[in-house]
Amino acid sequence: MSTSERVLQNNHLRHREGLTTVSHDWTMVKAGSLVEKQTLVTIDADATVEDACEVLLKNGITSAPVYDSVKKLYVGMFDYGDLMTYLLLLLKKMDVPLEDQSLEMRDLIQRTSRSQNVPVKLASAHGDLSGKDPFCTVLEETRLGAVVHDFGTGIHRVAVMDAEGNMKGILSQSSTLDYLMRHLSEYPQLQPVMQKSLQQCGLSNGRVLSVNGDEKVLDALISMSTNSVSSLAVLDEQGVLLGNISMTDIKHIMKNLRTSWLWITCFQLVCKIRLSQGVESGEDQYPVLDVNAKSTFGYTLSKLQATKAHRMWVVNDSGCAVGVVSLTDVFRVLSRLIDTDD
Amino acid sequence: MGSDLDRQIQTLLQCKIITEAEVKDLCLKAREILVEESNVQRVDAPVTVCGDIHGQFHDLKELFKVGGECPKTNYLFMGDFVDRGHHSVRYPDRITLIRGNHESRQITKVYGFYDECFQKFGSANVWRYCCEIFDYLSLSAIIDDRIFCVHGGLSPSINTIDQIRTIDRMQEVPHNGAMCDLLWSDPDPDSCTGWGLSPRGAGFLFGESVAKPFLHNNGLELIARAHQLVMEGYKLMFDEQVVTVWSAPNYCYRCGNVAAILEVDSNLNREYTIFKDSDRSSMNSRTTPQREGPPDYFL
Repeated sequence: MSTSERVLQNNHLRHREGLTTVSHDWTMVKAGSLVEKQTLVTIDADATVEDACEVLLKNGITSAPVYDSVKKLYVGMFDYGDLMTYLLLLLKKMDVPLEDQSLEMRDLIQRTSRSQNVPVKLASAHGDLSGKDPFCTVLEETRLGAVVHDFGTGIHRVAVMDAEGNMKGILSQSSTLDYLMRHLSEYPQLQPVMQKSLQQCGLSNGRVLSVNGDEKVLDALISMSTNSVSSLAVLDEQGVLLGNISMTDIKHIMKNLRTSWLWITCFQLVCKIRLSQGVESGEDQYPVLDVNAKSTFGYTLSKLQATKAHRMWVVNDSGCAVGVVSLTDVFRVLSRLIDTDD
Repeated sequence: MGSDLDRQIQTLLQCKIITEAEVKDLCLKAREILVEESNVQRVDAPVTVCGDIHGQFHDLKELFKVGGECPKTNYLFMGDFVDRGHHSVRYPDRITLIRGNHESRQITKVYGFYDECFQKFGSANVWRYCCEIFDYLSLSAIIDDRIFCVHGGLSPSINTIDQIRTIDRMQEVPHNGAMCDLLWSDPDPDSCTGWGLSPRGAGFLFGESVAKPFLHNNGLELIARAHQLVMEGYKLMFDEQVVTVWSAPNYCYRCGNVAAILEVDSNLNREYTIFKDSDRSSMNSRTTPQREGPPDYFL
């Protein structure tokens, strides 16, 4: 066991002394209890896509439910994936001339859609424009075991509703992982899987969807959309991992209204984002977030939690990407535990 | 040879670059000096301890004005000389330098130094010479056996200063392990578990429950480190037993922070001096508010 893993195992076991002998079953935790203190941010169904994007940026969130005040119901979720799909649809309609490549995002959208403001309810119809990640609801009483099952099939977040149909909050894969890791010592049933290596969990290799560092950002976004994935590994000619590009990176393009960032290379985007994040937080981050086949499941989860990343790339000794562990993969493994217990 | 060095220093002080051949030669000379240094370089007080510089050359000149000219004043720089700022490619005189996380091939490719070298010299050679020199830099320093200086922080693999001496340092900064942790870790005042994984993706967060025993077991009175931006220039933690010193004022020419240096006298008394960015630097930030491409050469 590496030093990191020993240190983390000590952390997870540290609070066990003094607890009662009643074993808590993590699968029985109610969804409602995880969203208790949440402030809900919603987007009006008639808002423009550009306005909706601004709501996400301003609140530092990656998605928000869309509310139709006429019909008085929620019609879907809007996230950066939807924004990306919308943008690509517009851009695919015509070649964007060179002089338009540095326009502000708002202007570009106006130009390409011929000044027709597309309301966000169309962009997020039937759950969302991208067709993936349907608008899923659960009740406050729904147990975590069921939610984790949904997460394991690729649903990134669920809306938690009360008995009257009011939305109490959004429960995401990230916030659920964070909860489980902070309370790990209360759930001894999870200890065995935490000790397994990624290899033992069947997560150490798999298809790595990637883009070369020299390819343009726009092409990478198109590739993500075509392949229905939310990120791509950015590799050099030898297959060494340089960083990654994900759908949420589109927020950096929006934030600075820098559409010109669509036409720079993927490696340049990785650098710009790292530089920008480093100045904002006063701390520079390591450019690649990775683990290897021998890393434990628990270590991988701790690193996902600490870095707030949605995936860890699995690299070999030469630094080449050989697999990926996404939050969906994590929850698939956890939901398999429930199935085998039954 | 002496007059050559003087001429090169004068050229550099005017913020002009020297030739690639001169850089190569200087790097070879520097290597001869650095290879003799220990992983834990012994430094005698009095000495002035400084944090991250990040290529802010005019502010470095300001630092020397505030702290006193080298070599009359002894200096110890705790790493991160390069990346971001526009003038990473010049440093006068010999002073004690320890390695920061940015003195690394992988990091300099992402954070600007590689691009700056390529732009100023037309090839990657100068970058390569500098990265080779970085491999020789000490990992840490110790002032009169009482003040331990390191760029990042502590490592769960290291309990004693002697253990640091056994590290094979002359290599690219590894992605994990003791050498990486020393250059990447951060103190965490909110920590309740002692150690935690770092949000940076390398190194650890360490709490008071880890720092205090380390200080006690190694007979130290202070850990001085850098690595994190501090708006007020320096920040004391853990009952003033750990301090972060940051020496790049108005970081990236837009953060608006002040910088600090820590002056340690021969009795190990400590005094913090604050300074702001130089006039040349603030002129630069007014004319170029948002940076996108590789940094422009500013004379």
